Amino acid sequence: MAKVLIIADIKQGVLKGSTAELLSKAKAIGAETAVVAVGSNIESLTPDLANAGSDTQYIADDPSLELFSAGPYASCVVDAAKQFGTNMIWFGFSESGKAVAPRVAAQLDAACATEITDVELSGDQIEVIRPAITNKVMQRVKINTDKLVAVVRAGAFEATEGITGTENVVKLSIPAADLKAVIKEIVSDASGEIDLADADVVISVGRGVKDQAGVDLVKELANDLKAGFGSSRAMVDGGFMAHNKQVGQTGKIVAPSLYMAIGISGAIQHLAGMTGSKVILAVNKNTEAPIFNVADYGIVGDLFEVVPILREEIKKMKMLRVIMQHN
Amino acid sequence: MKILTTVKKVVDVELTMHVEDGAILEDGLQYVINAWDENAVETSVQLKENNGAETTLVSIGGGDNTDMIRKCYAMGIENGIHIDDPALAKADPSVFAKVLQKVFEAGNYDLVITGKQAQDTDSGQTGIILAEYLGLPCVSNVIAIEVVDDQHIKVSRSGDAGTEIVELELPAVVTVDVSINEPRLPQMRGIMMAKKKAIDVMDLAALGTSPNEVGGAAPKSEIAEFMKSESRKGGQKFEGDAAEITAQVVDLLANEAKVL
Repeated sequence: MAKVLIIADIKQGVLKGSTAELLSKAKAIGAETAVVAVGSNIESLTPDLANAGSDTQYIADDPSLELFSAGPYASCVVDAAKQFGTNMIWFGFSESGKAVAPRVAAQLDAACATEITDVELSGDQIEVIRPAITNKVMQRVKINTDKLVAVVRAGAFEATEGITGTENVVKLSIPAADLKAVIKEIVSDASGEIDLADADVVISVGRGVKDQAGVDLVKELANDLKAGFGSSRAMVDGGFMAHNKQVGQTGKIVAPSLYMAIGISGAIQHLAGMTGSKVILAVNKNTEAPIFNVADYGIVGDLFEVVPILREEIKKMKMLRVIMQHN
Repeated sequence: MKILTTVKKVVDVELTMHVEDGAILEDGLQYVINAWDENAVETSVQLKENNGAETTLVSIGGGDNTDMIRKCYAMGIENGIHIDDPALAKADPSVFAKVLQKVFEAGNYDLVITGKQAQDTDSGQTGIILAEYLGLPCVSNVIAIEVVDDQHIKVSRSGDAGTEIVELELPAVVTVDVSINEPRLPQMRGIMMAKKKAIDVMDLAALGTSPNEVGGAAPKSEIAEFMKSESRKGGQKFEGDAAEITAQVVDLLANEAKVL
């Protein structure tokens, strides 16, 4: 029986949805499942980890693990992998996952595949599907070792309803800090904001919003909808949006229920980060903008005119819905 | 400081890819320097200019890489190594990392700078695995770099919770993001000088290793086939009176797509 170890995605003390998605997929291919959780003050998450579908929880909980540092995190994952005797180790899509997965693979002499969208198991043979060349093609990759470390692309797997697990905690020993790569501080530019990675609605701004006033205008719409607020590369390079708000090939890959591209023309590098979204709305004044080739709904118009109307119409629709429910 | 920069020749991603029988059709494809590696080259050259460094690039595979390496020379890189060997045809990231390990050990470098991923595979593994093989500290997805002293650099990494500031002891490996800098355009004088510079081309034997040692004969993973990407189709596009079409789209988002 295959054994899949999944890295718990914990942000600000909360277990994120991707963990249940990965565990659901592991159960669907008939694997025995475990999670490894690394951080500080996370032991109280044990019931959540079990309820997400894991049968064993490897936990490394220590104040020294509060700030992300790839070396010690990798040591914890390797320790758990050896104890569990795992065939596969799956990370959800995150910057920390992308940094840690290759280290774990090297230490376990395993194959590594990033951005996978599917995994197939026939007997002992593992194969994965993943996009390449900025999403222009897909690859089927044959794994020639008995161990695979993978980073799963955002939105690739779905959580199944009614999945269950059991509490069985194994405490990991706490690794030494990496003295050769000392994390000095984390300059948070997203505190208190909705995390792009798991927002149900993501609204991104592009060159079309022009300046800070344009950014602020769209931000109000994002606030109304409690949406993640993202950006194309142009607005990050222009200094209007923080680097970790960039959606695209070199930034965040998102797959929300609704993605709104406001004033974004749709370079392939941006498309590679958001075409996994369920529904895409684009607002752009150029009717030929490539973003319309991937948008389910496109509004050709001046965003400075359209966005305030969009806010009003959504408010109206939501109020109407409340009234209907009360009747 | 001795800096080793990796550069890979990759397919131009702006072109249309045609897939047939599990392979990408070569016809009409063009090859360019990997975008992230161009930022790695620029990072090396800036460190050379600002802090003093000896800069060497290494490229693996890709056949004739002369034009790409000359371009890097014209940007300011001083030495170029090209490792080409038929045994590397199916190289995966760990094979590339093993070859780079050999190059590193032969050159006594203080810092390795790679692009954070190559745009042909989008894997983002090689630099990180190299650091593991060498037992060196590593930070990936770097967006700023500064020299602290002879033994230390300080880097900013774009991470999940914000920008992580990390101090690294040299020797070290960093992988850089495109936002770290704007690669310069080579100037005429640099282009002319680059033409006269030699490129050190070697196979695995000349590097002092073998296909077996680097795992070229039996990579841990291999591409079984390429497939067409499921491309998304454009849906309904609305033009006309802003108030009218916006109201219409909100209705569709709420009642047809059911996402509001």
